[in-house]
Amino acid sequence: MSEMPTASPAHPVFEAVLAELSERHRDEVLAAFAAVEHSPEPVPEVQLAALRDATMRRSLDTLLNRVGRTLIPVGEQAWTSGYRDDIAAGLAAAGHHSLSATDRAVLVLVLIHSVAVPRSRGTVPGDAWTSGEPTMLAELQNASRVQPAELRAALQRLRAAGLVQLVPQRAGAGQSAAYLPGPQLHRLSAAARRRLQEALILAAAPASPLAAAIRARHASPGGSR
Amino acid sequence: MPPRDQETALWWARIRAAGPQLVAAGTPVPPGLLRLAEPGGTQVWFTTDIPNAGGPATLDELDLPRPVLEMPNDTARVLAACVRCCWADPAGPLWPGVAVPSGLVVSVFRAMTGRDGIVAHRAVVGALRRLSWPGWLLWDTTAAVVRLGPRVAAWNQAELSTLRELWRSMPAPGPLPAGQDDVPGPEAGDDAAEVDA
Repeated sequence: MSEMPTASPAHPVFEAVLAELSERHRDEVLAAFAAVEHSPEPVPEVQLAALRDATMRRSLDTLLNRVGRTLIPVGEQAWTSGYRDDIAAGLAAAGHHSLSATDRAVLVLVLIHSVAVPRSRGTVPGDAWTSGEPTMLAELQNASRVQPAELRAALQRLRAAGLVQLVPQRAGAGQSAAYLPGPQLHRLSAAARRRLQEALILAAAPASPLAAAIRARHASPGGSR
Repeated sequence: MPPRDQETALWWARIRAAGPQLVAAGTPVPPGLLRLAEPGGTQVWFTTDIPNAGGPATLDELDLPRPVLEMPNDTARVLAACVRCCWADPAGPLWPGVAVPSGLVVSVFRAMTGRDGIVAHRAVVGALRRLSWPGWLLWDTTAAVVRLGPRVAAWNQAELSTLRELWRSMPAPGPLPAGQDDVPGPEAGDDAAEVDA
């Protein structure tokens, strides 16, 4: 048998932040860490003192920073966590993600149908990627060259990951299943939401003046990535 | 942030994004990560070690929703069946355990649920797939063998005590029925019950 895994008694990453806090604040910050990191939905700040109190929230953000994460506000009074922008760039560059090319393609189709197209018509306000119009399964089948069995498997994986969600069937029998982007999209930072928006514009309308402006900004020194 | 802290943050994020990482045995262990020797001695897994109060179990105490899992009951049963089969000696450590033919897992699942034939196979295949994506299990579909994944090594002593009791109360792996010494790969025998719409 190989060695037993051992964890050091004082956690080198967590203690660096928690050791400076009072016993009560420490418990509150750790509970809020668990909530924003593991809850599938954004956490209302009314539920946790460390989300309401600015000082504890700063400690929470410092703790998240140490594991490559950051606190993300959702609406006025809820919070979740996401990757730090510099860390996300490092992960993407090294190919560290768990989605196959097919899964990513299906996710992009849902984002285009549910958010990008309605937003270009002006029916989806703001910069969030979580609200929008349902994408019907039939639309995904028609719009992609992915085989139906593969498409269903990809949708299952994306649902399990919280990246898409099934919309409850509307009244009317015989309707195909419908999907919306899932709650994990709340975890995108403001910069990540903007990058996604720009990438879709570049892909969908590469000849448009908007795409030219984005390319110019990327090319200029100090422009966003 | 100092370069060393930045490197640590990237390791934690890598594991969050892509699961436990298999690296060369000589790689220095970044702060806060568990190092798990892979049988063979040349490679090790790195996985994160989160203090209990910062882990997902705290969601229940806070009355927050848990991540949604499809077919949660069968998935839990199949994970339990894998623990029963792969933890050869519950007096010893859980990791790395032993690799077993997936047919053995099916035999325990059948004994637990009373389900038989294709119904049990479908349930087990679906659950093996759900459990192997995030690294709870290592499932070699070509050789049709299953091992515990590196994530189980992060279970704490209290959880292991509960698991030991569960292990003793569970049916022992049965002999492999003739001609059923494996389960179909993920592309065959798709679990139709889960298909959307």
